[in-house]
Amino acid sequence: MTARTRYFVIVSLLVLGVGLGTGLVAYYIGFPAGAFTRTGGPEELQFIPRDATVVAYADVREVMASELRQKLQASVPVAPDGRREFEDKTGINIETDVDRVVACLNPSRHSTKPENAQGAGMVLARGRFNETKIEALMREHGAGVEDYRGKRLITGTMLADRNGDNIHAGQNHELAVVFLEPGLLAIGTPVLVRSAVDLHQAGDNPQAGLQSVASNDELMSLVRSLEAGNLWAVGRFDVLESQAHLPPEVTTRLPAITWFAVSGHVNGGLRGLIRAEARDEEAANNLRDVVRGFVALGKMQAGSRSDVQALMQSLELGGTGKTVALSFNVPAEIFEAVAAAAGSRAPRGEKKPEIR
Amino acid sequence: MRSQRTPALVPSAMRIFDLSLGQMLWSRRSVFLGVLLGGPVLLALGLRVISALYLSGFRINGAMAGGATIFGMMIWLLYLRFIVPVLGVFYGTALIADEVEDKTITYLFTRPIPRRAVLVGKYFAYLVCTSLLILPSVVLVYFLIVPIGDGSIGAAFPSLVKDLGMLVVGLAAYGAVFALVGTRLKRPLVAGLVFAFGWEPGVMFFPGYLRRATVAYYLQALVTHEMPQDSAVSVLLQVFREVPDVLTSLASLGLITVAALWVAGRSVEQREYVLDQ
Repeated sequence: MTARTRYFVIVSLLVLGVGLGTGLVAYYIGFPAGAFTRTGGPEELQFIPRDATVVAYADVREVMASELRQKLQASVPVAPDGRREFEDKTGINIETDVDRVVACLNPSRHSTKPENAQGAGMVLARGRFNETKIEALMREHGAGVEDYRGKRLITGTMLADRNGDNIHAGQNHELAVVFLEPGLLAIGTPVLVRSAVDLHQAGDNPQAGLQSVASNDELMSLVRSLEAGNLWAVGRFDVLESQAHLPPEVTTRLPAITWFAVSGHVNGGLRGLIRAEARDEEAANNLRDVVRGFVALGKMQAGSRSDVQALMQSLELGGTGKTVALSFNVPAEIFEAVAAAAGSRAPRGEKKPEIR
Repeated sequence: MRSQRTPALVPSAMRIFDLSLGQMLWSRRSVFLGVLLGGPVLLALGLRVISALYLSGFRINGAMAGGATIFGMMIWLLYLRFIVPVLGVFYGTALIADEVEDKTITYLFTRPIPRRAVLVGKYFAYLVCTSLLILPSVVLVYFLIVPIGDGSIGAAFPSLVKDLGMLVVGLAAYGAVFALVGTRLKRPLVAGLVFAFGWEPGVMFFPGYLRRATVAYYLQALVTHEMPQDSAVSVLLQVFREVPDVLTSLASLGLITVAALWVAGRSVEQREYVLDQ
């Protein structure tokens, strides 16, 4: 065998060996998220467990800097008390510290009974956070710190019936916070936060039952179609419906939708798209007819106001097969008018809040 | 007095293998093979670039197709239906025919080795040469294509291993059949092309037992991917699809390979090669 042939054989076997070795490692251990590809959507999706019922995203920075928000803030100043209180308690200034958030809602993993399934939630926030301050503030409020796979997991209990705002009387909700990496905070139920740490450390590993929503083809194809928006949400309508414990007379009248997706782009106004995947084509046609009826009714009721007319004219029904889509464009004037109407209803003599 | 013994088949075949591997790798035929195998890699690269630039993914018949689905289609359409039979035809028929055409068969046959060893050694050189070219190409295509549309490298890995094994088995079976064609017929290339692209697809189209006289019938049972419905013929093939189980297929392909090689070896042993002057 000549040297040239020998080199060729070695190179060829090397490509084969490296490929098979890499595949084997990926099969047994899994790869860190995004090792080979950009999956579409924000990268935080890699840390959300696959069984998420709803996934939502907001580009906080873009929304905060949007023309629409500036106009609204100028016309209806909002008191900064709530924001300041949140900042005092957590050390996070929503306006300046948070760049984007990704939130998810998952079915509860503790309960196998549907009547006990209240769901678990998690928010992943990307921005600039003072980790030490946040941990200190949470410890002041009784939170404890534990080590989980090399990360400091801050866990505390949220009293649901505090201040009378009782949601689930007699229940305390556990909350966990972890910094997955500098500038990426995960906050939510401890099970989900731990899953986020697992996914961050090891990536997808189907053999170990650890997969992120990024491996959920159905959900990701919807996410990719919504990427133009700076706000969006995608979810399983049928799962939410089954968990909502609605009376049968209501559930029978709800449209047979499997997936829903809502996307919006906030800037001068709000441009958006609502999309629903029906169970079958017949259900999609029925839903299309209902929406068409509502749109027609809305156009009839628009009256002489040009901004409302513009909104109604922007409604566009679309979609083929099992997909029903409704796009809309809400001009800034509509928001201003609504905000002004809400402002005029405020009690007289109330102290005008300062503009921050 | 020491008796003059003919060397055994295996060591002789190894010598021929060593000699032929380099010749095959650096022949003009291998340039064609390189182009043939570079095509899928370039195609995969193109698809990957497109998917990276336009993240909306790929749709097949209106449905979103993941990387593993596209990879499965490429294995079916490019490798199994085209590249493997083409390589089998071009290399398999040339194992002995090239030596006859170049009038160098005499030099090989005058060596103190069994004639059969020439064929066996060349056959293994063909198998190693084509495998060393095809398998890395498939691995590259796999890593370029599977991650498209959030496909998981790990989840699809078992199918890659099966595909690689299936391609080697396919190369072995087609190579042996066409080696037999090369030793028996005068114009083996034409006969091989007619068999690979006329007889095999044609017979697969009809219901009945005739399809069992093809390599493709047994090979398709080893494919883990769904058969793509790329044409009306494919749709009909799906309707008439009758696939033997994996063990039967492997046994049949093994039998085809061994039987074809044995008959080819016998032909080489017994045939009188008269070279045109």
